Amino acid sequence: MTNYILRRLAQAIPQLFIISIILFVLMQAFGDPISTLGGRVPARPEDKARLRRQLGLDQPTYMQYVTWLVGNDWQKIDMDGDGVPETPGKRLGILRGDWGNSLVTRKPVLEMISERVPNTLMLMVTAEVVIIIFSIAVGLYSALRPYSLFDNLVTGLSFVGYSMPVFWLALMLMYIFAVNFRRWGLPYLPTVGMYDPSVGKTPLELIKHLVLPVTTLSVISIAGYSRFVRSSVMEVLGQDYVRTARAKGLKAFTVVFRHALPNAALPFITIIGLDIPFLLGGAVVTERIFAWPGMGRLFIDHTERSDFPMLMGILMLIAITVVIFQIITDVVYSLVDPRIRLK
Amino acid sequence: MKRNLNILLSLAVLASMVLAACGGAAATPAPAATEPAAVVTDAPAPVATEPPAPTFSGTATITFVQEPDNLNPMYTSMSFSGYLRPFYLKPSWDFDENAQPVPVLVKEIPSAANGGLSADGKTITLKLRDDVKWSDGEPLTADDYVFTFDMIMSDKNTPLGRYPYDTYVESVVAQDPTTVVITLKDPFAAWFTSLFNWVLPKHVLQPVFDKDGTIDNAEWNRNPTVDLGPFVLDQWETGSHLSFKANPVWINPPKLEQIFVRIVPDDAAQEAAIIAGDTDIGAFLSSDQIAKLEAGGKVKVVPLGSGYNEAWFLNVNKDTARPFMLDVNVRKAIALATDRFTIVKDLLVESINPVSVTFWDTTPPYQTDTLQPYPYDPEQAKSLLDAAGWIDSDADGIRDKTIDGKKVDLIVRYATNQRELRKNVQAVVEQQWKQVGIGAELANYSSDIFWNGYNDGGPQALGTYDIAEFSSSANAFPDPDTAGFTCDQIVNADNPDGSNTQGYCNPKLDDLFKQQAVAVDPAARKDLFTQIEQIMYDDYIYVGIWKDPDLWSISSRLKNVKFSGVYPFWNAYEWEVAP
Repeated sequence: MTNYILRRLAQAIPQLFIISIILFVLMQAFGDPISTLGGRVPARPEDKARLRRQLGLDQPTYMQYVTWLVGNDWQKIDMDGDGVPETPGKRLGILRGDWGNSLVTRKPVLEMISERVPNTLMLMVTAEVVIIIFSIAVGLYSALRPYSLFDNLVTGLSFVGYSMPVFWLALMLMYIFAVNFRRWGLPYLPTVGMYDPSVGKTPLELIKHLVLPVTTLSVISIAGYSRFVRSSVMEVLGQDYVRTARAKGLKAFTVVFRHALPNAALPFITIIGLDIPFLLGGAVVTERIFAWPGMGRLFIDHTERSDFPMLMGILMLIAITVVIFQIITDVVYSLVDPRIRLK
Repeated sequence: MKRNLNILLSLAVLASMVLAACGGAAATPAPAATEPAAVVTDAPAPVATEPPAPTFSGTATITFVQEPDNLNPMYTSMSFSGYLRPFYLKPSWDFDENAQPVPVLVKEIPSAANGGLSADGKTITLKLRDDVKWSDGEPLTADDYVFTFDMIMSDKNTPLGRYPYDTYVESVVAQDPTTVVITLKDPFAAWFTSLFNWVLPKHVLQPVFDKDGTIDNAEWNRNPTVDLGPFVLDQWETGSHLSFKANPVWINPPKLEQIFVRIVPDDAAQEAAIIAGDTDIGAFLSSDQIAKLEAGGKVKVVPLGSGYNEAWFLNVNKDTARPFMLDVNVRKAIALATDRFTIVKDLLVESINPVSVTFWDTTPPYQTDTLQPYPYDPEQAKSLLDAAGWIDSDADGIRDKTIDGKKVDLIVRYATNQRELRKNVQAVVEQQWKQVGIGAELANYSSDIFWNGYNDGGPQALGTYDIAEFSSSANAFPDPDTAGFTCDQIVNADNPDGSNTQGYCNPKLDDLFKQQAVAVDPAARKDLFTQIEQIMYDDYIYVGIWKDPDLWSISSRLKNVKFSGVYPFWNAYEWEVAP
């Protein structure tokens, strides 16, 4: 097992290397990070030319990649524009732990990411837990009583939930529970944000602000996943060994939870395992509407400004997490399914 | 049985948690609502007695749809960053709600009369107040001005823009601790609006510069806790909010205790937050939101001109434009064939967004009072096109002309970004043009691509358009100077960073632009702009569509807000919340 994990990790290194090159090249197709500099009118030509030179954006793509990868402290930069490089570079490159600075905020990329990761995880992990619990509960109940009133009801609701656009659901929830409930004098939820700054970052504030975005994120996924759980449980329940277990006189509870569910859960684990790394990426639409200060918004805000050091940072972080979680998923798979042995 | 009991129990726990969460939501605003009431009652007290330590009360909340990128003005050109500056970094002089200057850091506005402005217009002397302190108690001195100039000009720093310091300023000298002497290379008409709108704290940033060799990454840039305004930055939780607290040592102590600026990127969510009463001031609203926001009677939407007008910029570059664009009569026909009056009536709020005429329509006092919007006159448009030889020879509904043996259709490439409103305008215009036989090729680019430079293949820079629509203003409102219409700014391979993407070149206009830039006498300058506007009007290279003021919402609980187009929050120290 240890060997297997080590081998997979070793394979991951060239994989990430290739990903970084592809991403960096694709990044060049983005807009010009200093075309407007975030202002409402284009920047002055002299300033654009000077910034390109000072920030190294006039370098060929491969040189910019080399700088991003291993830094430029072995080079000199022409800061004053006299054509003679005189100021030593300060970048160390990602291989030496320097993820670069955002072109927009001038802050270190890693610092900006680390400000957002806890927020995003708070939102996404809560949502994922809600999704897993509810989709297993609903899916299992439907599978045990197929074509019952509950099952038909859930089936109908799933289609409604699954076909709802996220932004619409989010705004509807906000208008009902935050705007109209307040107008009607009912207990209401806050519209936007992670917490009310005048109250402070208390657990209660966080919970209140989590309710609507988590509901938005969960409804659609629960709708889909519960169908998935339902069909895989139903399939397993029809298997010979389940019939045998029942014939042995085992209690229904033991049959379902001991024999059927672990087998039915296998494909579900794969899906969840693939989901987890993307939790880190945040939920772009939900975070935007509910003004949740997470990674999805960080990504979108900086895409709009073509801030490629920032985007490279976020994408590489996600790439690394995907690779790690693929390995973890495979390992978990072998633990749950005795037929699979990792060599 | 036992299992059912367990489920029941856990359900009960869950229900109580949900109830607690909802109940809490209802309970929390109560203290917030009563708190100001309690404090406002003792607000008149300082008036009655001698001025003791200032007292602050109440909290205002503002929502922004974009998050500021940097709080050091050297490193940002975002409107939303600039909006915050009157809280924590005051200019040498403010502009009030009528765009009139109000001295802040200086004793008086330099002028020829008070000796602050030399006769040749090349020396400006600022007399600083001697009682202005940074929030840490250090006095503001002329050295801070010199340091600010040095930092902007230092090659070790990478400020976003150096204008106008690099172009016009020869030197900045501290004659004594409260006297700053600015020597200009040439007379500079716009010094009044663009010099020293902000000053950096030397005592904070000089040590950083000495240690790091640059202030690009100074902690102060993102966490400026040593400030020069009625409020001090308290906390910036990125993505969530910025909070400012009252600055007791400021010359005009504020009345509010706290201001929160919450970042709400989604327009519809901001609208919900305004209606729900979660915010007192909302920014960047659109006119279709006004009715909904004002419906409850607790919110007022205020239009605030800041120099912007929505307009068509016509491509007249002979290398890139389609041939008909080079004929002034065809350009005139296109303008006359477009019913902008119906567009603003149907798609906008006419009283807020009337049809605009020139580039300077919302930049008083430089707006024209003589020129009228181009009228809607499809018949004249048709006869102009007929006379110019553009006739629908193949009866396909679109006029054409044979140029050098090749048939050219009168199809206008009409480009803009992906804003919904602009797409609607395009659709209406396409129909209007059809009636006079003008074809349209509509293009919508994402904003970053639309504004991309020449080397990155931006459609405007490359000239792959005939009409580009966007909202624009002069360099530094309320100053009228702009660089986009002169010959030397035409974009091409040799000048990829030029700002004249229209390829428009009129030597007479160039000359007038040069004259106005050094016209220190305001009356003479206004006269020059009247001439500039007339030339551009007659050349049909700029077609105003609507005046584009910024829309702000104010809740009824926030009092004494006087928005100014230059610094919307300039009088934040006077803001109060209603009991």
